[in-house]
Amino acid sequence: MAYARCASFKRIFLISTVVALGGCASTQGPADPADPWENMNRGVYAFNDGLDRGLFRPVAELYAFVTPRPLRTCIRNAYLNIGEIWSAVNSALQQRHFDAINTVGRFMFNTTMGLGGCIDVASMNGQPRIANDFGITLGVWGLPQGPYLVLPIIGSSSVRDGAGDVVNLAGNQLDTIGMIRNVPLRNSIWGLEFVVRREALLTVSKTVDSTALDPYSFIRDAYLQRREAQVLGEADAQALPDYEDYEDVQADEKALGIAAEKSP
Amino acid sequence: MSSVFQLSAQRWFKMHRSAWLGTWLIIALAAAFGCQAATAAPNPQDPPPVFVQAVADELLTVLKADPAVRNQDLARINEIVQANVMPYVNFEKTTRLSAGKYWRDATPEQRAALVEAFRLTLVRTYTGALSKIDNGTSMEVLTFRGDENAKDVVVRSSVVQGTNVQPIRIDYRLEKTPEGWRIYDINVENIWLIQNYRGQFSQEINRSGIDGLIAALNKRNTQ
Repeated sequence: MAYARCASFKRIFLISTVVALGGCASTQGPADPADPWENMNRGVYAFNDGLDRGLFRPVAELYAFVTPRPLRTCIRNAYLNIGEIWSAVNSALQQRHFDAINTVGRFMFNTTMGLGGCIDVASMNGQPRIANDFGITLGVWGLPQGPYLVLPIIGSSSVRDGAGDVVNLAGNQLDTIGMIRNVPLRNSIWGLEFVVRREALLTVSKTVDSTALDPYSFIRDAYLQRREAQVLGEADAQALPDYEDYEDVQADEKALGIAAEKSP
Repeated sequence: MSSVFQLSAQRWFKMHRSAWLGTWLIIALAAAFGCQAATAAPNPQDPPPVFVQAVADELLTVLKADPAVRNQDLARINEIVQANVMPYVNFEKTTRLSAGKYWRDATPEQRAALVEAFRLTLVRTYTGALSKIDNGTSMEVLTFRGDENAKDVVVRSSVVQGTNVQPIRIDYRLEKTPEGWRIYDINVENIWLIQNYRGQFSQEINRSGIDGLIAALNKRNTQ
């Protein structure tokens, strides 16, 4: 399948990281083919989780506690609005020209009528945000996802998205907020952005904590699935997951006269 | 001439005011009941987009009217889910597909226990989201792109959660059964529910069997 295609790509990365991974032993149970570096990833995940619980999450909770909700929404929208330019660039790079035009329209509308992006008037007028980034662009260009990768602090990623993030950093941060000459101001804006982004995910992490059997694989599977769908885009939204239904398999076997001897 | 007519009309209105009020009341009541009839119980035989919209509208009406939902009262939310969601869902299929190939090795008792444990897990998963539903919340089914004659379709929708907040994309996957349409999978922001649980289910079954999976789900459910 898709993995045959990306075998050579994977090999390059395997060679380059084999030294770092040298000490990692095999995982318990059959490994997920999308996550060959699970042991290392789980290590980084545990590190991130500790850092999050000890520092990022309390700071985000404090921010949520002292800031009224409308103000939080406003600040969050303003950050998202700055990111629209980069989203539009990527939509254009992916030949999704309608998305690019709509996103530019959103940016102009929200920056002016929405008071610097604070109020998402475009969404209220029926043009929701089309988030896009360079990892998706690489995917649209045909680069496979590659192995799942958990990066320190950033969290869920993959080889492709990690490479995309380097470009995202340049396009979405260094060319926007990074242009601010006043260093303390620039760093404060970046620091606030981090807190704002974390705060937006507080309810999600609470849900994951209380319902996931294994938060690590819950987040991984959700991440990979979502990225895959973003690469496919709206046009291919009909490409639905094909679950094997073992009731149908059993019915077929019965019809064919093959007894399901495996069942207890 | 017209002024004379107006004058007489005014007098007529004054004379019959009480009668007019009565008529208006009857019309208003009829309209109200008529509307209620129009949004009555969802019909699984309707086309999928109509059916899904009706299920969502009914559920939102119940949730908005219930203060217990806002307090995240799990027992009450569970009741509402049983009454307003489960009749339209083929949850056995949801569980079966999530369990994948392990389903065939499960006994009928294990299957029933797994279905119930998974159902409770999902009720808890969505309790937080449901508690945020207020009068500004609405769900709008988007233009249907599939083939209504197909047996397996997707209905796309956009959930608006108050003003100045990004709408959430929620898609529903339905299958046609002899009793009509039944929802069996749901996609929130590009993540299909079943697909997201398959990995965890197989991981847990590999480690500690189907009973282990049921126990793991129930352990979290009673916490």
